[in-house]
Amino acid sequence: MERREVSFRIQRYNPQVDRAPFYDNFRIAVEKGITILRALNYIKEHLEPRLTFRAFCQAGICGSCAIRINGVSRLACTTQVWDVLTGGGDDPILIEPLDNLEVIRDLVVDIDPIMEKLKRNQSWVKPAIPEEELGRKEHIVSDEQFETINAASDCILCGSCYSECSMMQVNRDYISPPVLLKAFRMNNDTRDTLGCQRLREVTTDNGLWDCAHCYKCMEHCTKKIPIMDGIHHLREEAFARGMTHTEGARHAQAFFDDIRDIGRLKEVTLPLRTKGVLGSLGMVPLAIKMGLKGRKPPLLVKRIPDIERVRDIYDRLEADRGGEVVGAIHELPLRSAPRSGGCL
Amino acid sequence: MKYAYFLSCINESMTREVDRALNLWKKDLGIELVNLEKGTCCGGSNLDYVSPDHFIIINGRNIALAEKMGLDLVTSCSTCLLTLRRAKQILDSSPAKRELVNSHLADEGLHYAGTSDVKHLLWVITEDYGLERLAAKVTAPLRGVRFAPFYGCHILRPSALLGRDDPAAPTSLDRLVEALGGSLVEYGSKNKCCGFHTLLVAEKQSLAMTGNAVEDAVRSGAHYIVTPCPLCHTALDAYQDKALAGRGVSGNIPVLHLSQMIGLALGYSQKELGIDRHMIAA
Repeated sequence: MERREVSFRIQRYNPQVDRAPFYDNFRIAVEKGITILRALNYIKEHLEPRLTFRAFCQAGICGSCAIRINGVSRLACTTQVWDVLTGGGDDPILIEPLDNLEVIRDLVVDIDPIMEKLKRNQSWVKPAIPEEELGRKEHIVSDEQFETINAASDCILCGSCYSECSMMQVNRDYISPPVLLKAFRMNNDTRDTLGCQRLREVTTDNGLWDCAHCYKCMEHCTKKIPIMDGIHHLREEAFARGMTHTEGARHAQAFFDDIRDIGRLKEVTLPLRTKGVLGSLGMVPLAIKMGLKGRKPPLLVKRIPDIERVRDIYDRLEADRGGEVVGAIHELPLRSAPRSGGCL
Repeated sequence: MKYAYFLSCINESMTREVDRALNLWKKDLGIELVNLEKGTCCGGSNLDYVSPDHFIIINGRNIALAEKMGLDLVTSCSTCLLTLRRAKQILDSSPAKRELVNSHLADEGLHYAGTSDVKHLLWVITEDYGLERLAAKVTAPLRGVRFAPFYGCHILRPSALLGRDDPAAPTSLDRLVEALGGSLVEYGSKNKCCGFHTLLVAEKQSLAMTGNAVEDAVRSGAHYIVTPCPLCHTALDAYQDKALAGRGVSGNIPVLHLSQMIGLALGYSQKELGIDRHMIAA
């Protein structure tokens, strides 16, 4: 069995005693195949009994052992020491608590904010079956219907995406990736009845349209769920249901309109069309400064050659649609089929 | 080496210097680019919310225009890269979607078959051209110049779709800097988000992201940030003053486009490369 000495640099912090977080180094002999969680357990049992971390199932199912390993949020129980060695194995492995959450002790963070956001956005199925008949009447979900939400249902609420999220880093009130993923999952559950209401809730301030599109949630999901696809589909659903009164939706609409009109984006009026006249006023000073440097979008952008062919595509799609709400066509692991019907 | 070149909306307007610089030195490397004049805006990761059908047909058409020329499609904008590659992934994995797209392209004599790859200019330089070959072409090595490479998001994530660099520890831009004779600083923001995509809907939060990245680069002691994405450039350069306001950071840091950094090492002047057009003076 391959075996080597490995150093762990672990963040320690007891907010009731310590002024600031600090790091402790531990060097232990580790066999190949050992997980980070086993290594932490060894350190706790043999070197530092006060080291505090959360863990339970040891099988990547319960989600309680998510921490940052070398700066990336992962599950301690499914990450092998050998896979995160750097510098030829000589660099210490950096172990820190999840980001964007308050530390309770060492590697344990307070996940209440996630739970509160899940509650606020009714992240559960609200069934059509009346309360008194629940448990007596079946509501069958076909395999095909479940496939739409299959991947999203794998979420174990480990908090890794919450920790990685770029928007969370600058706004703790942001709705957050796991809550958006749950909203997608519930809104596409055939038993659920809250569609419009939930969508209205998630599209308020600090909500759906504030996602910065950085794909960190999806990249680092411990269950490999394409979280951004869920967020995309919620935005599609907002359009499909006619919830287009938000700045985010108006911004997207501008791209759609410009491609039909000239084939290119008319950047000069993009702020106006996204934020309205009053909202755009604050941008005027910077726009003037940029204009002086020649960094201004042309007032009139030239149409692409053959724009008529692009307009033909739009015309045909409009005719095909015949006024019907367009459905999602993606064949990615997450598929949404927003039920038609406006919400307003 | 010949490619179809995707004209990104922002490089046709706000950041015209990206293509100006590229067009200066491409002949020095023997790279031929055929502008995709009939191509449209990719929809900037927004079009699909309004209508997934339009998204897939419009971008299937963009790629089919390159296929008709028998060339791979190259872009200098990371969001165009991601958007086009998303469309390509959907089309290459779904006969039904290809059929839908092709039914709309037939009139124009176009056909999507999946034969053209979609690449970023950075990949063309590091993979197709090769850094050793590039290093041999350098006439004005960037000796003593310290760079903070800023990759941004859409050239790294999702890695399943982009698949070049490790998003947690990317190296391609770092290696390019070294090939041009420049040196690197260590800083934590190289793979972070610049905040651009929410500038119009959540400005305060976006500027906080921009400010975090710029402050990190300033404190690292770098002379320049360099980025492969004109959207990142706009956030980091045009919005830099606003993003740094109230942070107690002294000084600014100029931001170079990938194509400008290569141009400098190949002996072109700052003026020729349009570096004087930036908001933060170099």
